Amino acid sequence: MNKQETAAKIKAMISENLRIPAEMLTDDAALFGDDIGLDSVDSLEIIAGIDDLFGVNMTGVGKEHFQTVSSLADYVVANA
Amino acid sequence: MERRCVITGLGMIAAVGNSADACFEAVKLGKTGIETVASVSTEGCYTHLGAEVRGTELPAPDCDRSVRLCIRAAEEALSDAHLQGEDRAHAGLIVGSCVAGVDSLDRYYTEGKQDPSLIPRLFASSLANNTAAYLGLSGVTANIVNACAAGTMSLAYACDLIRSGEGEIFLAGGTDAFSSLAFAGFHALHALSEGPCSPFNHSNGITLGEGAGILVVESYESAVRRGAHILCEISGFGISSDAFHITAPHPQGEGQMLAIRRAMASAGVAPGEISYINAHGTGTAKNDEAEWLSLHTLFDGTGVSVSSTKSMTGHCLGAAGAIEAVLTVKALTEDTVPPTIFFTEEGKQTLAAKAGGLDFPANHCRARAMQTAMSNSFAFGGTNASMIFSKEAHTPKPRRHVPVCITGIGMTVAQDGQAPDLSMQAFAGRGVPLGFFRKLDRFSLLELASGKDALADAKLTITPENAPRVGSVIGTADGPIGEIDAFQQMICEKGPTAGSAFSFPNTVYNAAGGYLSINTGLKGTCATVANGESAGLQSLAYACDLLQGENEDVMLVSGTDEGSENLAELYRAMGHGEHFSEGSVTLTLETAAHAAVRGAEPYAYVAGYALAHQALPYTERNPSDDTVRKAADTALDRAGIDRAALSYVFAEPAVASVLALPAVCAADRIGNARAANPMHDLAQAARALHTDPNAKYALVVATARGGCCAAVVLSAQNGKKEEP
Repeated sequence: MNKQETAAKIKAMISENLRIPAEMLTDDAALFGDDIGLDSVDSLEIIAGIDDLFGVNMTGVGKEHFQTVSSLADYVVANA
Repeated sequence: MERRCVITGLGMIAAVGNSADACFEAVKLGKTGIETVASVSTEGCYTHLGAEVRGTELPAPDCDRSVRLCIRAAEEALSDAHLQGEDRAHAGLIVGSCVAGVDSLDRYYTEGKQDPSLIPRLFASSLANNTAAYLGLSGVTANIVNACAAGTMSLAYACDLIRSGEGEIFLAGGTDAFSSLAFAGFHALHALSEGPCSPFNHSNGITLGEGAGILVVESYESAVRRGAHILCEISGFGISSDAFHITAPHPQGEGQMLAIRRAMASAGVAPGEISYINAHGTGTAKNDEAEWLSLHTLFDGTGVSVSSTKSMTGHCLGAAGAIEAVLTVKALTEDTVPPTIFFTEEGKQTLAAKAGGLDFPANHCRARAMQTAMSNSFAFGGTNASMIFSKEAHTPKPRRHVPVCITGIGMTVAQDGQAPDLSMQAFAGRGVPLGFFRKLDRFSLLELASGKDALADAKLTITPENAPRVGSVIGTADGPIGEIDAFQQMICEKGPTAGSAFSFPNTVYNAAGGYLSINTGLKGTCATVANGESAGLQSLAYACDLLQGENEDVMLVSGTDEGSENLAELYRAMGHGEHFSEGSVTLTLETAAHAAVRGAEPYAYVAGYALAHQALPYTERNPSDDTVRKAADTALDRAGIDRAALSYVFAEPAVASVLALPAVCAADRIGNARAANPMHDLAQAARALHTDPNAKYALVVATARGGCCAAVVLSAQNGKKEEP
């Protein structure tokens, strides 16, 4: 799966599971910044969602991979 | 002189034993009840441990397991207190719970939705009423659903009810059965310990438990009259709200210390006078760090003994505070401090280094002569509760007897058949950012909208100075049932690892109150009362009682119920064909003096209120005509008026006909929004008294499933003189 498709799936998952309007979730929007404002509980949900979608376990993975949809997609593509 | 509240009976069942004596004996010996979980699936989870009740046949097989545990503990408490005849029949029952009857919901889905009679057992409102119906208790009931502080708060509410004249004897405590919902939820949050929990030792998570604790709380006069053996006094308690985070405690323990300081102030004791503290001590890093800091800040150097009995009982959630109250009373009366267990030699050395001026018995109990002991409970939603038990007589400070008025109204209800606007834009307009908005479930959104509107209507701004003196009481029939049902369906379908960390916090009934506190900043007493359709009016009565204490000046009071599709589906399965509406109505209630100082104009004053109850199961709606008359007549009597003085009456037609009064009600306008309807009536009554120059008094009466009835009288003018 290429990065674009991966990112689209991650976006849909985050939008649904964390109740964020899809239009706010650009590839490079800061997930844990002021606009979207995710927190540690949300990151658990992202880990569970990515495991579910791609079978990639992100437990204990460095914070830098959680910054944006794009960085999550990069990690998934590299580790799928 | 203010009324003393004493404890005259104990009942408890938990993994460590099936009676209060057996439980304390096990805890004293450091025997744990934690084993491999048998009652729910833990397949695929990183831990399989829990503290379940085993080998004891529970009564009432047609009830939810939480009610069966509650009945078992209540029967023991009734027997221990030698409560019989009329005294028993008139006793009230206040039950704390976190997950309520989700065990029945689990069964409903696991068994393929074959048995709809399981559904009504799900609701928290059913716990106290079904238990009271089984035991034939006709005093006032309530379910306090403030998660892990619920058990302690139930005891506090029983004291408030005794002091406000709603009864002489209450059974109070808490119950929670082991549930797949809580296991999957805490698992999703990574909050479960892999091994048995050992709070303040290896603080790497909780171990869940189950059980019930029930204490007989009665007025000193009642205990003397019937020659009861007085175990100890409830000499004080304090409740606060963190206004910080929905699951994590304030890291500096600010709210915890406010609750503890309030408890000590009401008991009239200094830190050095407390011999033992049964800590909340869950075993999560965040709880243990914050609580350790709170205890050191307040008690360092006093030599107070501290332990967490959760290392033996597991964390029994809504029952925890009640179970720990039983164990604290036993510790006090037997002059024995229970230990915290699972310390290795190395762990003991680490403990010795960090315990400082606190005494922390590890693995073994300690004999210690004591007069006074404390139990602390801290919950999801940021609710903190602390209670002090004493062998010494303690006459509490007198209540203020101050007039109370309504200064703000917030209504989030259906209009012209349209559901209330709960869009992101509607909340942005109230200053709620997306990052906060998106966390909230439907029930919490309804509550936040009406709560913020009631504050705005009262022109009241929460500041760091007034925040601790502003609280809330939220009444609900069904609670956040959409979130609970969706979560339960998910784990029934996909297994215990499929729990959502995002939605689990919203399955607790007091999440809505927690979000309201976090968003507005209010830090006073925050309670959520689940008790059928009249829960909103009951909450107003509770809030009025709290305003007679010395801690709060303003209380937000709500009646809130959602109309989610999940809820509608469950009601349809129960055979209810009607359309369910939804809504939340919040009133800003404050002391007349506080309103006058800040120049707020009251809509109306609370002239009188009363509660009544008939022992009926939660599947039955209508209490007897006598019960309805009793509530209405007592409220009128307390207001000092008769029916002829009423300008307006708000009640459903069946209730109005019992009272032989012409009445109107909200259902015609907003549909069936359960607990929100009588609060809508109350808001309309307040507005009518404010705008109609000839109107003097209004009466609002509501009945509920489970045999509850509440009545409130409002007056246009402040008829009561302030006492100095």
